[in-house]
Amino acid sequence: MENAVCVLNLSKSFNGQNVVRDISFDISKGEIFGLIGPNGAGKTTIIRMLLDIIRPDSGEIRILDDRLSEEIKDQIGYLPEERGLYKKLTVFETLAYLGALKEIDSKKRAAFLLQKMGMLQHKDKKISELSKGMQQKIQIIAAIIHDPDFIILDEPFSGLDPVNMKLVKDLIMELGKEGKTILISTHMMDQVERMCSRIFMIHKGEGVLYGKIDEIKSRYGKNTVLLEFEGELKNIQGVKKMNNSGNYAELILEPGADPTEVLKKLAEMVRVSKFELSMPSLNEIFIQVVEGT
Amino acid sequence: MSKWRIIAKHEYLTNIKRKEFLFVTFGVPLFIIAIMGLSFLLIGIGGHNEENKIGYVDNTGLFDSSNLTKYTDEDLARKDLLDNKITNYFVIPENYTATGKIIIYSSKKNFADNMKIEDQIRNFLLDNLLKNETSDIIQRVKKPIDPEYFTLNEKGLKSEDSGFTIILLPLVFSMLFSISIFASSGFLLQSVIEEKENRIMEVILSSVSHKDLLTGKIIGLGALGLTQVFIYLTIAAVILLINPLALNLIISQIHISIPLLAAGIIYFILGYIVFAGIMAGVGAIATTSREGQQIAVIFSLTGSFPFMFSQFIITNPNEIFAKALSIFPLTSPITMIMRLSITDVPLYEIIVSIIVLVFSAYLTIEISVRIFRASLLMYGKKPTIKELIKYVRQS
Repeated sequence: MENAVCVLNLSKSFNGQNVVRDISFDISKGEIFGLIGPNGAGKTTIIRMLLDIIRPDSGEIRILDDRLSEEIKDQIGYLPEERGLYKKLTVFETLAYLGALKEIDSKKRAAFLLQKMGMLQHKDKKISELSKGMQQKIQIIAAIIHDPDFIILDEPFSGLDPVNMKLVKDLIMELGKEGKTILISTHMMDQVERMCSRIFMIHKGEGVLYGKIDEIKSRYGKNTVLLEFEGELKNIQGVKKMNNSGNYAELILEPGADPTEVLKKLAEMVRVSKFELSMPSLNEIFIQVVEGT
Repeated sequence: MSKWRIIAKHEYLTNIKRKEFLFVTFGVPLFIIAIMGLSFLLIGIGGHNEENKIGYVDNTGLFDSSNLTKYTDEDLARKDLLDNKITNYFVIPENYTATGKIIIYSSKKNFADNMKIEDQIRNFLLDNLLKNETSDIIQRVKKPIDPEYFTLNEKGLKSEDSGFTIILLPLVFSMLFSISIFASSGFLLQSVIEEKENRIMEVILSSVSHKDLLTGKIIGLGALGLTQVFIYLTIAAVILLINPLALNLIISQIHISIPLLAAGIIYFILGYIVFAGIMAGVGAIATTSREGQQIAVIFSLTGSFPFMFSQFIITNPNEIFAKALSIFPLTSPITMIMRLSITDVPLYEIIVSIIVLVFSAYLTIEISVRIFRASLLMYGKKPTIKELIKYVRQS
């Protein structure tokens, strides 16, 4: 498949500190790609370099089969992590201006997207009159107002309530079905786990994992138990590690441990309502990777 | 449409609605007009409303008048004054021709009136003293000189404005220009910092280049400044057309020539670009608008140097000091406007100052774009001077 984005040996340092070190990855056309890593890993810096907002120290970036140019920028939609809008403009004025900067007459599409996100009745309100969640929806609309082929979403779910989170998620999936290339950058790994086909994981400016989520997971083996329970969970023989969230836990089994034995011991200790043998979550894989390095 | 034009249009349309802009554009001239009008009005009031009725007592037997009431007895005059039949009376003592002493009585104290009454009495006295002369001579004695100044040089004669205008015109003219320059470059600073503070800068930069963003802002807000200048000129033109009596004296002496106006516009645009370039750089470095304004003050103060020394520049427009200020890019637009409106500035000086300005305008924008690029998204971190130099050298 053709690549929408090629990043080759990208490096950037600020004041002698390496923020991004020798990073390479590709994003195929039409795929939903996850750029994941903890806060401060260098995700936003990579995105800013993709958009030519800051220049890399070394390395190469190609977007939509071209070196980044002003024309290419019109085909990219961007939702930055640092959210902000003109406080004094109305919703419609904001969208018209940001659309115009992408060289598009956006009135019709603005109305359509506002309708879709349930914001149409607010179109003549000033931005300062909107709630934070509403502002965020406006920004997501602004990012796709020009119907871009490549969409970059930096932490798209932060600050959203469950209803709006679903709304945004559905929107992303729909855009994906339309064949758009989407890059989601986030530290909430369980979110991308369900949406992305491939990921690039970054830690302290260096790439640590890259590839299809299934492949990465199977590389770490089917050694995880997802457990729902009532009662108090204690250490069990054969379990290497336990991520306990009270009535839900992720158990990582020791190599060679028998899941049936583990279930038996569990049943003696707590009331088990769900027991699922699974691949480890991205979160767990990430922790293993970080602790391993 | 190129992207800088969209940005310019946006900046123009959003800033023209700003309260600060409307205040500076309409409030300041209205304030000046109000103050001027008020003072003229105050002077006018006393004289126009009630006519002075003046009586006199002549102890010399030399004076006679059809306009003023003659009293043979001072007691009668005093009585009429207290009864408000006359407003003033004066006594011409016997030894008047030797001493010139005149004693004036009035029913109330009024400084503005005193001047008028003195005028009336003076005319009365002169008319009588010179009654054997022709009316031309009498007029000449009353107003012996009506001056007109010329400078003579190789090119020939050139008429010059005199008196009041010499100080007033260049000052008002250059002051309005610099208000516009400072106001619009100030808006630029505000606009950069605002977009930084509300974080929308990053979205904009994902659509346009740093240079387009800066160009758009500078041109949009420059157009705003020009609009302001034209509004000032329109207000001035309207006042000239209405031509209220009180302002007659000043207006009759003001001549704004077309070349001066053209030079004014050129200096305005170049001066504005230099300041706008600086403000954009300051905006990129500053982390808050307060910090931005603190840094900006240094440049605005330097820019208003010509005002602090305006008296010196106006009285010695061709001295070395004035010449130096007309070459230094931060002070040259205002200094040049001052000098051009009062004297002949040699052509080579104008050319040199414009070349320096064009070069500085280019340089400040180039440097600002680089600083913009390097430090715009460093939220909350102000770069050191050393880092700034590094940014400028890069790219």
